[in-house]
Amino acid sequence: MRKVAVIGAGMTLFRRILQETGKELSFLATKMAMEDAGIEKKDLDMVIMGSAPDAFDGIHLKGENLLDGAAAANKPYVRVFNGGGTGVFAPIAGWWHVASGVADVALVVCEEKMGSCFPHPQTAFRHIWDPFLDRPLNTNLVWLFAMEMNRYMTVHNIKKEDIARVAVKNKRNAVGHPCAQLPDENITIDDVLNSEVVAWPVQRLDISPPSDGASALILCSEEKAKKYVEDPITIAGVGWNIDSTMWTNRDLYFPRYVANAAKMAYKMAGIDNPRKEIDFAEPYDPFDYKELQHMEGLLLCDKGEAPILTREGVTQRDGNLPICPSGGLLGVGNPIAATMGQKVCELYWQLAGKAGKRQIPTDPQIGVGQAWGDIMQMGTVIVMKR
Amino acid sequence: MTFLEKQTDPTSPMHWRGNMQADYLYLSGVAGDKFFKHLMKNDTFLATKCPECNKVFFPPRLYCEDCFCEIPEEKWFEVPSKGSIKLFTIATIDSYGKKLKEPKVIGLINIDQTDGSLLGVIKTDKPDEELQGVHVEAVLKPKDKREGTLKDILYFKKK
Repeated sequence: MRKVAVIGAGMTLFRRILQETGKELSFLATKMAMEDAGIEKKDLDMVIMGSAPDAFDGIHLKGENLLDGAAAANKPYVRVFNGGGTGVFAPIAGWWHVASGVADVALVVCEEKMGSCFPHPQTAFRHIWDPFLDRPLNTNLVWLFAMEMNRYMTVHNIKKEDIARVAVKNKRNAVGHPCAQLPDENITIDDVLNSEVVAWPVQRLDISPPSDGASALILCSEEKAKKYVEDPITIAGVGWNIDSTMWTNRDLYFPRYVANAAKMAYKMAGIDNPRKEIDFAEPYDPFDYKELQHMEGLLLCDKGEAPILTREGVTQRDGNLPICPSGGLLGVGNPIAATMGQKVCELYWQLAGKAGKRQIPTDPQIGVGQAWGDIMQMGTVIVMKR
Repeated sequence: MTFLEKQTDPTSPMHWRGNMQADYLYLSGVAGDKFFKHLMKNDTFLATKCPECNKVFFPPRLYCEDCFCEIPEEKWFEVPSKGSIKLFTIATIDSYGKKLKEPKVIGLINIDQTDGSLLGVIKTDKPDEELQGVHVEAVLKPKDKREGTLKDILYFKKK
């Protein structure tokens, strides 16, 4: 397998509803990434689109709808999709296009327009369940995640305020992000604890918002990358893993599928001790407790230790192990697949020293990004190195 | 395997009835907004021209899909709401398998002065004639009835 480098990235504003069509959003992100890399459409060998259910944009086969905005007309093109895991899985698919040798330069575009699903995209989530066992009770994702969060808190005896700290940290980190939807430099733990209860223990400010947005990433074989950049950032490892759809029969306190995906990625990257070797991480944080569970799934700490590290300030941008320096989904927004912008593009921006106000001050050399999806079962992981 | 081909009542096995709720608010986008706002007040269309390859996009686009460049403001221009029939068919059965009261002519109209086409209903006295290449013009709703959607174009007819 060939080594794969990242040579450019782009990201649109993330907002509850943007006027641009999905293809217009794709164009804006793609154009930014191309300008960052200094390449043109003719230089692209292949294009990979990541976008979550068609039900969000309301266009069946939306991969085909989006492609002209993704510089894919008359190119080899494929759309990949595994729910919330897509934002990291799409660049993994881009990686295998280049690592295998079938492409020298591959563009990865991720798009989501959740605002089209009106009045609220939660209605689309109601149809991902088993039609006989789950759907007749009219459950929704927040109720299910509330049970998972409750289980996590019970097993480790975690206080709600230690989870709320994650929302506070990420919304404050997002203040430095030019695309951010919900940055808040004054938010406090009390604000989170006093927000409306949606399904105990989940409160309004524990949850990231639905969003419109797009992001793009340009991958290149390492040898060719030197034509465009002096010291290319490389993809050192990738991993993905999915747990049983019988979620009712699993203990949800620990995401073992994330651990499996992380082990696969670490093995490829030659990482024996992730706690020591990884400088920062972008775990998936659609809910504040998920950042903590995912830090544990990524083997960055012991089970139940993530809330303690957060309380001690270790996960702050200037801490020993910065977590979600981008501002994450909680602060920047959650256009499902397009969160590649926080989970993968951010690794590139941090490692290349291009993160601006969000730059981690300690000169990071290696970072890990992760996404999570389907019915509490999909883990996708990427490791990048300078 | 249980084969059901001899079942006359598919609801006789255990089942649960559901639907996939899906309600949408589709925004026309940045280029679409401009196109439809113009159509509400004018009897002409808008198109855009790529500054690099000169391809004329109709309906107008913000970008050229080939050169992958943005199309600037000054490359927007008016074109007549007329064109030539590029493709057509005469439909007699609808999506539900029902016979239409009258055959419906549906075609792609290549809009004059552009490289783009629009799907439209073609009104003609003789639906079985050879229509390919025939020049047609759009018949629009009265201006005070327009809503800024494709439905503002009632149909295309021979000039």
